[in-house]
Parts: sequence; structure tokens; C-alpha cells
Amino acid sequence: MKMRRRTLAAVAAAASLLVGGGANAQAVKELRIGYQPSPIQDASIAMFETWGAKKGIKIVKVPNSYGVYVEKMTASLTSNSDQYDVIWHNDDWGQLWAHLLESTDDIPGLQFAEKWGMDKIVFGNAQGQNTVVPMGQTFSVFFYRNDLVQPNEVPKTLADVVTMSKKLQAANKAKWGYVGAMSMNNSWFSWFWSMWGNNCDVLMPFYERDNKKLAAAGWKSGLDQPCMKETAEYWWDAINTHKISPRGMPAYDRNEANAIFMSGDAAFTVADSLWWGTFNDPAKSKVVGKVSAARFPLGPNRQKNFAWDDIWGWAIPKSISPERKALAKEMLAAMMVDEEGQMKLWKATGAPPPNTQFWDKIAAQDPFMKLLKEAVLESPDKVRGAYYFPQWPAVHKAFNDAVTKAVTGKREDIAKVLAEGAPLVSKAAQP
Amino acid sequence: MFGEQQRFMVLLIAPAALLLGLFQVVPIVIGANASFRDWALYNPKKTWVGLDHYKAVITDPAFLEVVLPNTFIFMIMSVAGALALGLGLALLLNRPFRGQKIVQTVLMVPLMVAPVIAAIMMRWMFNDQFGIVNAVLEGLGLEGQPWLVERWSAFGIIVLTDVWLWTPWFTLLLLAGLQSLPKEPFEAAAIDGTSAWRVFSHLTLPMLQPVIVVCVVIRAIDAFRTFDIVWTLTGGGPGRSTELFSLYAYVLAFLNLDLGRGSAAAIVGGLIILVVGIGLYRLVDRVTKT
Repeated sequence: MKMRRRTLAAVAAAASLLVGGGANAQAVKELRIGYQPSPIQDASIAMFETWGAKKGIKIVKVPNSYGVYVEKMTASLTSNSDQYDVIWHNDDWGQLWAHLLESTDDIPGLQFAEKWGMDKIVFGNAQGQNTVVPMGQTFSVFFYRNDLVQPNEVPKTLADVVTMSKKLQAANKAKWGYVGAMSMNNSWFSWFWSMWGNNCDVLMPFYERDNKKLAAAGWKSGLDQPCMKETAEYWWDAINTHKISPRGMPAYDRNEANAIFMSGDAAFTVADSLWWGTFNDPAKSKVVGKVSAARFPLGPNRQKNFAWDDIWGWAIPKSISPERKALAKEMLAAMMVDEEGQMKLWKATGAPPPNTQFWDKIAAQDPFMKLLKEAVLESPDKVRGAYYFPQWPAVHKAFNDAVTKAVTGKREDIAKVLAEGAPLVSKAAQP
Repeated sequence: MFGEQQRFMVLLIAPAALLLGLFQVVPIVIGANASFRDWALYNPKKTWVGLDHYKAVITDPAFLEVVLPNTFIFMIMSVAGALALGLGLALLLNRPFRGQKIVQTVLMVPLMVAPVIAAIMMRWMFNDQFGIVNAVLEGLGLEGQPWLVERWSAFGIIVLTDVWLWTPWFTLLLLAGLQSLPKEPFEAAAIDGTSAWRVFSHLTLPMLQPVIVVCVVIRAIDAFRTFDIVWTLTGGGPGRSTELFSLYAYVLAFLNLDLGRGSAAAIVGGLIILVVGIGLYRLVDRVTKT
């Protein structure tokens, strides 16, 4: 019996050595990156791999589907798993995960990051520490076909979009005027920009992102406001009356809308600037060299231009070991100053890289970056793309359900449908 | 207490029972526990809230007026469609013809396609700009349709996808059933000069009924929990007009990250399908006895 116990103890010790020792050995040999394959993330991870090759650290890429990324990563973070050492982070989830992520304040190189995107209202935790390292600026811009529209003809207002689209359609130069995604989780590419451009927003006060102020206003929805009715009516008319946008547009995701633009069938679209590289990729696009970007057209309620500016970033789960945290921070610090890698990221995507010191150099060589600097990065009137409280996904879904129902129903029912949706949005926002 | 034979039997059952316990019973118990608690996925406080989540689910107008009706309509249409087509194909395959084995193999292909892949394929086929369906319609001089923007056309595509995926399953089982039927009644009917329709309605169908009922019961219960094709094709949209029960629970638990409310919804759905299942099993029992 004694012998058997001893054997069992020896096996247990060996197993624990194997497991624990293995984990420790792994900690110094590899870093696991949880991400969603996309041009900007691929380019950013390429910088990690360059650093890893120099340091003898293996970078293990663990791709996750965008459709389940938040839920999967949230489950991983709350279960204190050490599945990932560095994860893709996004402003939308800034507050959702803030308490589950390591502070990044001590990472060298962050002084070169852009301040607006790193704001603590988005990524700060309860202790006022930041929890993100930028991957690049990710915001949308209004793309137009420069072979069809001269710079002085670029629409300045939503009404101009209709006029110019009809002109191009009448001349058989474009099948569609505007195409953009509208379905859930793609609301930004038609609903949000046009809503912001009409002095409107999901919650009230408009453009406010301070949760205390939103709570003080009772998490009131902007859905039942006249500006939102105008926005919904605009899209209803664009699709059904003016026929400048496809009838299927309310169901489009970003890939479908981008596919139509890249096939050369539409004159205008709104997409993340990081698609610039894909729009100009001859293997994927028929509009290579024919795309330019401009400021968002404005609705009747707004006269002043605005810019939407956010970042995508990387974060480190709190639950991993101190050795892994230190190594992850070292890698992210190296990425922040990797000029060659960031230049490649810019060229591959069209997303301004995380180190602002490189922006002037890029702008001097590339007019697209010059435009982004003037129109977005240095704009005094910026909008944040999401809200920063944990219920935001539910609010977003309730909002998108209501506006989709409005735009796919009868025009005369739009106000009623939006009014019915408003309390559902407010209810979803309640903590 | 146990003889050698009983111990051996327990030993044989143990691995399956263990797996069932770990991967079915334990998650259900954890889910049931979560349904009575404030259990946000991002911040699980786990405080007891009693029946609050259940009350919220069963009084939610979207659940009662959209989700449940959609789920039952989908269940009926999908099962009926796949059964009718599957039976038709089984009858065709039950006659010997040249190349029968090849046709039989080709017809089974949908069974090998993952539902998500089938749904992506269908989404692009019915894309209003690039889809083959609109291309054919326009080629015939008809107007292409925005299939996924209208409630019932989107719903129809969901049903079509499910029917396409499940028809081979019905075909396979019904063909096996057909081939196991005794030959004598059919030979007697042939001697009497009975019409093909009368043979089908008075012999084939009644004799095949037990197989049909078992297929319908299994498939109906499975259809109730359909998630992947709906999520991929429409995401429950436009608006929430094609949302089924499984999407409702998923959105609550994993999009809104409210595991407590999502678990309550799942358990409510589980109870509903339990009642439906008991009813269907009684039907099977009655059919088998007759």
C-alpha cells in the first residue's frame, strides 16, 4: 500500500512538473495572440513576428471569428484563463473589459500614441489606468470614385449625394450612387455617420460619451427625435424613391457593401480607411487607382464638418503570469517604435499607424494620409464611434433592430417604428 | 449487491454515462443555476434574483409575438418540406434504374455540408447584386428581388436552406424503411391492377408510417434549436423578423452578455420543447401500437 502511495505521489509530482514546468518554459518561449484576421491586425502581428524572430520568441497566432470574438474573449477573460497573452482590443469593448485587463501605462512608447483614441473614457479602468496599446487608427471615411466625380463635385451634403448619384446613374456611369453596410454590427457604414452628420445620435445628449451624464439624462434614446426620423427617411428615399442605393442594402454587411464598391458598381461608399489598401489591390478590386476619400456629407441639421476617429489596439489579460505580462509589454513597446513595420502597416491598409511621430513623414509621401490628417486626425470636431458601458452591445442591437424595421417598412410608419424602438434602446442601456 | 454480470454492465455504461454527465448534465445544472442569478458574462456577481429572469423572458413581447411563432412556423415548414421531398426521392430511388447508386450518393452530398457553409452559400446565391438567383430572374426578364430585406422571403430562404440540408437525411431513412417493407402486399396489388396512387396511399404510406413518425419527431425536436443557418443568413433580421428561439437565447447570453437571462430563456425553450416532445412521443407510441 505504502509502495502504491509513493508511486502515485511520484506520478503526481512528475505530472505537475510536466504541466507547470511546461507552462513556465512556454512563458519564455512563446506569446499567444488572440485576434481576428484582417489587414491591419495581420500587419501589426507581422511586427510582433519581426520582434519575436530577433528575441527567439515564437508568436503563436490564434485567429477568432469576428462574429463571436467579444463573447469568446469575454468568457476567456472572466474565466481567468491564460489562453492568450495579447488580445485584439477595440473601443467598443473598452469599458466591458477594463477591469479584466492589465494596465498598459508602464509601456514605453505610448507617449507617441494619439491621445484622443487612448482617452480614459474609452479604455481607462476604475483606477484611472489605461488598458490598451494602439494598433492603428480605425475610422471610416467617405470614399468616392475619382474617375466619375471631380474633387469640386464631391457631395458636401446628403442631398448632394442623391443629386450626384442620380446624375451618374442617368449618364450610365454607375449602377448605384451610394452603397454601404446597414445590418447589425455594421451600422457605422450608413446609419451612424449619416446620423452624426445630421446632429443626431443613439443616446442623448448627442455626442456625449460620459456615462454619468448619459445616466443623468436617463439613458434617453435619440431614436424618437426629429433628426433620426430625417435620417431614416433619407435612407428610405435613397433606396425606394431615388433608387440610388440597392434595395438589399438594409441587410448588407461590410463585405457585401465593399464587394459592390470594389466591383465598380457604386460611386460612393463609407468604409474604414483601412480598406484603402484592399480597394487598391488589383487582385481584389476593379477600382484600383480610382478611389479618393472626402469628409462625410452633412444632413440638413448640421453645417460644421465632423470626423469620426477611433483606434483598434492590443491588450494584455490580467490573468496571465507576470513573466508573460512583462514579455508582452516588451513586444508591444517594440511595436510602438517599429518604424519599418508601421510604414508597411500603412501601405497595406491605409490605417494611420500607432506612432504619431511617423504621421508627418507618411503625409509628406502620400496624399491619402495628408487628407486623413487634415480631415480626421487633426479635426477639432471628433465623434466617438461607440458608447463605453457594458450594455453597449445590447443598445446597439436594439437601435439597429429599430432603424432596420423603419427603413424596410412603409415610409409613413417610420416615426411610429422609431418611437416604439426608443424605449427599448433606453431599457437596454439601463445598468 | 451486484453480481459479476451487473458489474460488467455498469462498466460498459460508465464511460457513456460519465461523458453524458460531464457534457450534458453538468452544463444544464450550471445553466439552471445561472438563470436564477445576476450573472453578466463580463462581471458575474452571481447574486440570487429568483425568478426575475424567467418573468422577463415570458413577458417579453418579442419572445411571445415574434420568436415563438417564428420558431414553430420554421419547425413545421422545415420538417414538412424535407419530409415531402425526402419521401419523394426515397420513392424514386426505391426503383432500380441505371446509375441509381451514383444518384443516391450525389443526393447525400448536402448531409456532408456544414450548415454554416450552406448558409453562407445561400446568402451569396440570394445576394441581390451578385447572386445567381437574381441573375437567372433578370435573364428571364424578371426583376431581381432583395431577398433578405423582406421578412417572408428571408424566412423562406432560411426554410429552403434547412430543407436542402435535411432532405437527404429523410431520404436515407425512408429509403431504408421502404426497402424493409414486405413485398407480398405490393405483388398482390399489382396482380389486382391497383393504380400507383392507391398503392402509395393505401399500402406504402400506412406501412411506412412508423418510420415517418420517428423521423418527424427526431427532426422536429432538432429543428426547434436551429441556430447556425439563421444566424449566418439573416442574424434574425431584418429587424427581429426572422429571429428563432435559439437566436433569442444566444443574443441575450452572448451578445448582450447576460448569461443569467440567456440561461433562463434557454430553460424556458427547453421546457417548451419538452412538452412538444412528450406530445410527439405519445403520437409515435399511438402509431406504433396501431
